[in-house]
Amino acid sequence: MKQSTFNNKFLPYLLLIPTFIILAVFLFYPAIETFRLSFFKIHPWSGAEKFAGFYNYIKIFTNSEYLSSFVLSAGFALAVIAGGIIFSLLIALLLNKKIAGIRFYRSFLIWPYALSPAIAGALFNFLFNPANGVMCYFTGNRTWLTNEKTAIIVVIIAAVWKNLGYNIIFYLTALRNVPVSALESASIDGAGAVKKFMYITFAFLSPTTFFLFVMNTIYAYFASFGLIDVLTQGGPADSTRVLIYHLYKDFFVHSKIGYAAAESLVLFTLVVGVTVLQFRTAGKKVHYQ
Amino acid sequence: MKKSNLIAMILFVVMILPTAMFAGGSVDVDESADVNIEFWHAMSGARVELIQGIVDKFMAENPNINVDVQYTGSYNDTLNKVKSAYKAGNAPDIFHSYEIGTLGLINSGIISPLDEIAGKFDRKIPWDDFFTPVQSYYKYKGDHYSMPFNSSTPLIFYNKTFFEKAGLDPENPPKTYSEIREAAVALQAAGYKTPVTWNLHSWYFEQMICLQDEPFVNDKNGRSGDLPTEVVFNGEAGQKVLDWWVGMEKDGLFLDVGPGWSNHRAAFGSGEVAMVMSSSSDVNTLTAALKEKGWEMGTGYIPRPEGAKGGVAIGGGSLWLTNNHTTEEELAALKLITYISEDESQIAWHKGTGYFPVRKTAMDQLKSEGWFNENPNFLTAFNQLLDSPETLNTSGGLLGIFPEARELIQSAIQEMYAGKPVKEALDEAAVKANASIAEWNEVIQ
Repeated sequence: MKQSTFNNKFLPYLLLIPTFIILAVFLFYPAIETFRLSFFKIHPWSGAEKFAGFYNYIKIFTNSEYLSSFVLSAGFALAVIAGGIIFSLLIALLLNKKIAGIRFYRSFLIWPYALSPAIAGALFNFLFNPANGVMCYFTGNRTWLTNEKTAIIVVIIAAVWKNLGYNIIFYLTALRNVPVSALESASIDGAGAVKKFMYITFAFLSPTTFFLFVMNTIYAYFASFGLIDVLTQGGPADSTRVLIYHLYKDFFVHSKIGYAAAESLVLFTLVVGVTVLQFRTAGKKVHYQ
Repeated sequence: MKKSNLIAMILFVVMILPTAMFAGGSVDVDESADVNIEFWHAMSGARVELIQGIVDKFMAENPNINVDVQYTGSYNDTLNKVKSAYKAGNAPDIFHSYEIGTLGLINSGIISPLDEIAGKFDRKIPWDDFFTPVQSYYKYKGDHYSMPFNSSTPLIFYNKTFFEKAGLDPENPPKTYSEIREAAVALQAAGYKTPVTWNLHSWYFEQMICLQDEPFVNDKNGRSGDLPTEVVFNGEAGQKVLDWWVGMEKDGLFLDVGPGWSNHRAAFGSGEVAMVMSSSSDVNTLTAALKEKGWEMGTGYIPRPEGAKGGVAIGGGSLWLTNNHTTEEELAALKLITYISEDESQIAWHKGTGYFPVRKTAMDQLKSEGWFNENPNFLTAFNQLLDSPETLNTSGGLLGIFPEARELIQSAIQEMYAGKPVKEALDEAAVKANASIAEWNEVIQ
């Protein structure tokens, strides 16, 4: 079959225009504007600007709350990524079995992903809120969300649970692509279940794991806002105030526009940096078919 | 920026010059012209309908004015939406803000001071008819900047049935720190495990500083006309409040339910606790919640340390007019907010919510109706306010970064729960607040 070709040089650009307009308006312009604003002191109401050089950056990086939020976010992200990937892989392995009612289990385990973060937060609030949380009743501990050490754990559990569905779907799809022949020949060579999983299944899953690694990093850094806002509002005593929540407060509550611009740029750079690092390191070990 | 300067200049010429020419104060305006105005408010739930009802009546009386009323989320959300709308050139004519936004809005450059607009149309607002604490909160340098709307104070709500079971007098609620503590101990002995709670909110802390007749910020509590430069909430008065409050938590008499407005209500409604502090606008909700369980509810003044001579300041919100509108729109907006402050609207609003009416005549009408005989709990907030002496401290502190100060205080209280000494945590919060104030003062000018 002959592939059709276009000789018009402008046609590809023409076809790209709609996408670029949307990207320009909703992505490039705000990003450039944020970059610009991060070098200004800005009036909270009129938006009047005064050039301030690196003032905002110096201020946020000398703010101990911001720095501890940095460390907190890194720990939070690690926990969410590790928890998310390990649990979803285990669940996906179970869901890949042929047992009665498997479709039912699959739907239910993927369900959390369909909830908005606010609703997921409300559900966990039903479970853990100190006034009448169900889990407070069963555990005999009502300070889950009001104790600095446990509040972050509840938020991590909620964040992992909320994203399980997403991870499971990808793992399930990947599991179906693991060739049965490879597993069979390994059996014939005398490999046990653990070895088969480690050397064959997991190797075939590595592209998916890597992809989920990147996606969960982005999720942990950017999408945790709703949960935290509903569950703890960054408290108790800033113990759940991750970078994205700090940024929200600075912009939407404290009207510190310059700080917020600098913080969002820092957050953006951080996540891009982590992603690039992942591609350079783990990405090289990924085995694509 | 140049463009907006130009617009401002044109507006100056178009709007101020004619005013100057008419010198008498009234402007040439077609009162019967059809006009559309927008009104954004921050009252959720059943209150959305209530406000719509008041506005519908207004529109029936003023058929040429069409009002688009919108609930735009919390106070904070509403302010953010107004901010962006103003930059985009389509700000609502009227918006609703919390009391602590007052100094920020006065300095925002986006509002028209209420007295100025009222003077422009020769429609002076009868401020003498407003309760003094209510109108004095929104007065700055001698002028009123916004129309008082939903006004409340915090109250103690207690479960009379539980009080009786614990051998306490159900008709005589505790009034001082030590009385609250004693009542809590008695309730605990009667089997109510953690008998007291309120939500983690700086508002109570602020009010309990007012009760000691002490300021929240310097420069005459932010009311001298100069922008305040320092907070003073970490002084002796503030420490006294938190020594008592956090002390009860430490001793297991007080249940920490975290921030937000639902947990403490839930704990009180389920009988988990016997005493809460909350907004007087919760009278309706909490009475109903206890009634459902067959319990009776009482209300009392918020507690003070023995011998303190201060009073409460009002909380709640007010209605603001944005600038850059046509004369016709300005007049229509002025008419609407005046209407909302008048007796009929205020009485409907009071009965539906528990916020108290802002005008004396509305109050007199409620009294003569016998409303308070049937609903004595509605009267408590009033009396508490009217019993408050009139000072700069009970007018309420004004501070540009008030929302941030509140967060710092709330965070500090959580640190105290976790063991940090009261003074240390408060001082740290004050240092952070002062740094933010210095920045704000620089940027705003």
